[in-house]
Amino acid sequence: MSRYLTPAKIGLLALIELYIEQAVPNDAIITVINFITSHLHDCDLTPAPPTRSDRWKKAESIIGLVVSIKEFELVLSPFTAADRLPGRRLWDRFLEKLWRIDSLHGLQKFFDRLPHLLIKTKEELRQIAERGEEPPSGTLLSHNSPFGVFVRRSWLEFTRLQFHHTTDLWKAFVKYRQPTAGHWRKRNPQHGRLSFDSVLMTGEHEWGDNTEELAVVAYGNMLLMGNHDDTLPVSTDDIESLLEFQVEQNQKYGTRVPPELKEKFQRLLKDSHVIPSLSHYLNFSDAWRSGDYPTSFDYLHRYFDYTMQNRDRLFYQYALMNLAIVQSDFGCHKEAVATMLEAVSTARENRDMTCLNFALNWFFHFGKHHPQLVQELENNSMLGSGKESLAFLRVKAKETGMWILWSSALLSEAKACMSSGESVSTALEHIVRSSQLVVERNLKTMVGSQLSTVMSLWDRLGVSYMSSMTCEVFLRCHAQSSIFDDELKVKCRFAGMLAGKGKYEKAFELLESIDKNSLRSAKANQYWHLYRGLLKLRCDLHRNNLEAAETLLSQLLQIGTEALEPDMVFMIDSLHIEALIRRGDFEAAFTKVDRLIAELRENNRDISLRIRLLLAKAHLFDCIGRPEKGFTISMRAASLAWRARLIPVLWQAIGALANVLTSLSEFAAAARLLMAVLPRCLETDAAYVTGALYSLLADARMGQAGEVTANDQNQPLGHHRRGVGTTQGKRRMEFLTKADEALDFAFKYFSIVEDVEKQCEMLAKKATLMRTMGDYVLAGNYAAKYMALRKGQTSTATAGGRAV
Amino acid sequence: MGLSAKDLLHLKESLQVAVVKCSERCLYQSAKWAAELLDAIPEISTGDLDQRASGMGNYVHPAFVTNVDPREAALEAKELDKYLLAKSFFDCKEFDRCAAVFLPESLLSGILSTKQSDVGTPRGKGKASASAPSGQLLPPISQKSLFLALYAKVISGEKLKDEESEMIMGPQDLGSVVNKQLLIVSRFLDRWFTERKSEENDLPPSQGFLEYLYGMVLVKEKNDDGALDYLMQSVHLFPWNWGCWLEITNLIARVEQLNKVTRSLPQNIMSYIFYANTAVNLYQQGQNLAASLTDLLNIFPTSSFLLTCKALLNYHSKDLMAAEQDFSNLLALHPHRLDSLDHYSNILYVLNQRPKLAFLAHLCTSIDKFRPESCVVIGNYYSLLSQHEKAVQYFRRALTLDRSCLSAWTLMGHEYVELKNTHAAIESYRRAVDVNRRDYRAWYGLGQTYEVLEMHAYALWYYKKAAGLRPWDGKMWQAVGSCLQKMGRDRDGIKALKRALLADTYYDSTTRSAGPIDRMAQMDPEVLLQIALMYDRLDEEEEAKAYMELCVAQEDGGDASGGDGGGGLGDSVAIHHNSSGVASDVEGEGVDRGGGGHEGTGVTVATSKARMWLARQAMRAEDYVTANRLASELCQDGVEVEEAKALIREARSRMELADEMDR
Repeated sequence: MSRYLTPAKIGLLALIELYIEQAVPNDAIITVINFITSHLHDCDLTPAPPTRSDRWKKAESIIGLVVSIKEFELVLSPFTAADRLPGRRLWDRFLEKLWRIDSLHGLQKFFDRLPHLLIKTKEELRQIAERGEEPPSGTLLSHNSPFGVFVRRSWLEFTRLQFHHTTDLWKAFVKYRQPTAGHWRKRNPQHGRLSFDSVLMTGEHEWGDNTEELAVVAYGNMLLMGNHDDTLPVSTDDIESLLEFQVEQNQKYGTRVPPELKEKFQRLLKDSHVIPSLSHYLNFSDAWRSGDYPTSFDYLHRYFDYTMQNRDRLFYQYALMNLAIVQSDFGCHKEAVATMLEAVSTARENRDMTCLNFALNWFFHFGKHHPQLVQELENNSMLGSGKESLAFLRVKAKETGMWILWSSALLSEAKACMSSGESVSTALEHIVRSSQLVVERNLKTMVGSQLSTVMSLWDRLGVSYMSSMTCEVFLRCHAQSSIFDDELKVKCRFAGMLAGKGKYEKAFELLESIDKNSLRSAKANQYWHLYRGLLKLRCDLHRNNLEAAETLLSQLLQIGTEALEPDMVFMIDSLHIEALIRRGDFEAAFTKVDRLIAELRENNRDISLRIRLLLAKAHLFDCIGRPEKGFTISMRAASLAWRARLIPVLWQAIGALANVLTSLSEFAAAARLLMAVLPRCLETDAAYVTGALYSLLADARMGQAGEVTANDQNQPLGHHRRGVGTTQGKRRMEFLTKADEALDFAFKYFSIVEDVEKQCEMLAKKATLMRTMGDYVLAGNYAAKYMALRKGQTSTATAGGRAV
Repeated sequence: MGLSAKDLLHLKESLQVAVVKCSERCLYQSAKWAAELLDAIPEISTGDLDQRASGMGNYVHPAFVTNVDPREAALEAKELDKYLLAKSFFDCKEFDRCAAVFLPESLLSGILSTKQSDVGTPRGKGKASASAPSGQLLPPISQKSLFLALYAKVISGEKLKDEESEMIMGPQDLGSVVNKQLLIVSRFLDRWFTERKSEENDLPPSQGFLEYLYGMVLVKEKNDDGALDYLMQSVHLFPWNWGCWLEITNLIARVEQLNKVTRSLPQNIMSYIFYANTAVNLYQQGQNLAASLTDLLNIFPTSSFLLTCKALLNYHSKDLMAAEQDFSNLLALHPHRLDSLDHYSNILYVLNQRPKLAFLAHLCTSIDKFRPESCVVIGNYYSLLSQHEKAVQYFRRALTLDRSCLSAWTLMGHEYVELKNTHAAIESYRRAVDVNRRDYRAWYGLGQTYEVLEMHAYALWYYKKAAGLRPWDGKMWQAVGSCLQKMGRDRDGIKALKRALLADTYYDSTTRSAGPIDRMAQMDPEVLLQIALMYDRLDEEEEAKAYMELCVAQEDGGDASGGDGGGGLGDSVAIHHNSSGVASDVEGEGVDRGGGGHEGTGVTVATSKARMWLARQAMRAEDYVTANRLASELCQDGVEVEEAKALIREARSRMELADEMDR
């Protein structure tokens, strides 16, 4: 098929002609012009469509136009024509135009007429004046208007056609037009079977029966096969614009091409003479996203083999860079490093600053995830630590005007600040600078990471409502125009927050609402599955559904740490520890925690993870009944958290500290600490932590009540009741009531997160408390509740176990 | 020329034999031609056939009979395996391999070396050596195999030649590449024929094909007379080889030669077809030719070849509409046939039938876009659209496919003229002429180009050539005349132009076709004006005036109705008669016919100029009334109004003056 011209383009030209002849009524002008322009221009002027599936509409419409004339009918038939007889539709006028191209020569004449649609140049005007003719009047297209450019291009392309290509175009046009024959015949009764070619029509009386044969000779199988001969009149231009569109979608949103569109496109590609090398790229990225490692490598190499000829060797480094990214994506980290180093050296040779900056950026991020691989490199390089290299990168990006890189460097710096527990204000400053860049340069693609950084900042500061609000803002306003990975991550994060508040249903709903087509890409799909698994795991752990949780865990632990992000790995690990604790396998839990702490110390990782591990360790001591052993750890955790302003962890650390105090019988101090911390902790929306703090408070209160009793000369139990009326008795009662309140609150928060174990514990404590207070009926009630809860839990556990 | 059923049956049989024999020898085109002709014979009534079939139960069709000569038959039977091998090689276009099956290189080199020694040594010594190698020299193979082997050699040489040729009209393309195998083949055949003639060896008689091959080789070696001799021998021995006839046609350059050759040809239907075809190719026309074609068409009603001849006849006699009809019918009858559609496209070009030409080009492209004919058709279409670069491109492609494609060379010349590239134009015309010296369009084109370059002496030479080929084409003579005029040879110019007038009328009288127009009915005012101007220059005022008046009279169809002095035209014709020495009776007839109430040309530039001249002349002759009338006519026509008005004023004032004088 031809390079540029197709029957569909002839249709567009005819439509432009109609427009210039002012046959388009006023109310249709916008629709018609919009229709034409949308098919002439690659760039999309309309705002991004709201849903992800709508994004592919454009490709659908391009294919639709190429394949059938129906698209024109849909647009044109609602309108009446402005000239000629009333009652004629615009569609009829359009058909008239098309059917007036009644022979190959007619087609030639049609194209020869095109230059008359354009405004005359000065030179031409002068010539016309010399010949003494009137310059043409009426609506004309200026040379550089979109329509003018299209008309000129079409004309040029037509004159460039070889004759047999012209005949091909003509045949394709006849075929394209044929479906409208029925409609056309209704208006024009003289229309005959051979009307598609006037020469055949007029020749019929001369040639008689042989006309048929001549027609078959000229038009080939087209006439014999009818519509079954399904080659599609597609031009290289169409293919290219489709390819570019798909690749752009791929890169912009990181999604794969929907299967039905892909199939249609493959059919077009089959009928196109030339297969542009970009299609290999498309195949590559599709294979990449689908996780098909060998195929994606094959296509990447094929793409660069085919593009080498016309791009020179100047782009070799980009090939290598792509290769490195793919390799690291598929877990071949060592190879990726080697490839990237080669890319860097080639880029240096070619003095390609852009490429070098990208490579440096990549190395920085890569180094964060795989420090052991980059270590060697960093020792030898001049740059030194990651921080300096980031600053260097920032400066370079600013110099070369790579805004995206600049912004991402700033964000990285902010993240580094946060993870090493440095000043929050510095981190905030970086974020604000990046934000300014994003707004100034309209870096839509950066909004995702920008807001994620903001979210993690708020999270760390414990302002969870700000964090969740930012989540919502992103999902509502920016998700359409950002890359899918960002959307996925934010959604997962939001789901995590909801789960933290105990809204499991909502969290799962949110996860399920993610666009199915976008999830077809392997990485995203894996991430999504993993996150769903984590949520489920947490849910199961809370519900004490240990069988199911262990099945899930064994699956999750099987995923190599290489393929995962470190945060995820940590989450899995911590959940594993929790599971072990719940199982009562403290030994294993302890070794694991120790190992993790050692690893983290080595790698100089995020401070919050370290604190969490310390807390886990303290918790372990608590579990084995020797909380006082965790005192130093808790203290360290608290001081670290305080220094890094890691508020949610801080409250947890304080909780651990209070627990230690309680165990040391410093009940009043513990209670004071907890009373101070609790309101703040409520702000963080972490229900489980709040519950735990309340339960600690109850313990402290109980301790205090006990202290009062002990002060009461260690009287036997019977005396207690007698002493109810005394001031001490009063105070004791007061503490007991406070403990009861705290237990109630703790129960409430634990039941929000549906943590059965803790709920039971609270109920048990409550029952004991009631008994202490002498209310046996209530104590019995609570005991019954406890039993019911246990029973329900076992039944759901088995059910849940089966479900998983 | 009706043929009885028996004759027809016989004819059919002969053609069948011809097809088989030609295809046995890989003469594909001849076989195709014969088969086409065979197909064009209508079914013979079965009654006769039955009679025949019952007569001989064990009748073997002559096409399948072995060679009648027992010795040849024995040879053919002996080498059947090898022959089949060679034939398969030829069919697969492995020509050298095919040749080597029967004539290995060692054998050929032996022939060449002994030949040289024969030439080089005195006769006495040669005799001693000649007896020894003669046995080894000519391999004892059948004529059929020998033909196939040698033919394969020639074809391989042609292929090599095509490969070595440079790009069409490129810097290296001098047309000087030769077929290197020709020498070997011609020596071999020379030897073969001498041996045959020597009579001492008792050899089987020749079958005619080797003569054809030798003739063909001689043609390529530009030995026309020798070639003609051998080709004639060949057609005598085997008349059904159309390729041979075609070679003869190409050798004949003039009608006289044709007539001479025809006398010594065998009298059969093939020579009849040959005569008709050659005559058409020589641009002959006339009732006789048309009649003979009609006769042939009675025998072969649907023969595409004969129909083409008929169409070309019509074309050459300038009856374009009829020719178009013929070709159109031909197209409908044989929609897949591309041969000679290039002529059809020329006709459509002249008739300016663009859609049809486009359709034809489309059709050709669909059948085979790499045939020279298709390319020429497309080129013509682009030329009609004034896209001359593209036209040149397609003509070039046609020539790359077949260098001997005559029409492409000429048409490319035309395109180069349009592109104002005179050098290229001259070169391509020259090539056309080299390919076929009978192409008057190329000669004419050469003349035109030189005229553009203002090299009139050259131009005249070429125009004369063209006029010699088409003596009845007014355009040629007109060109000769105007060329002479520009060279200042007015007398000769007048003669030539008068000839042109005559030629125009000749066509008119001879071709009475179905075509609705005979546009040559009146004389061309342009020519008349030119003649008049030349007379004027020669100071023969009377003649000049007569022609000017004749020119003006063309406005209303040469009818002297509006003319002043009813005898004006008659006078002029009379003068014409007396003064011109050329075939005046024919011309007179023509002029009379011209006056027979045809519609005039209307006011043209030429007639206006003539009128102006007449007005001025009248002024000089002090015939103010006439001058006034002519000038006011000029004013009416709106040509050169200012000058005409000045004339009127002058004439009136003179008239008034005269009146006053009278008074």
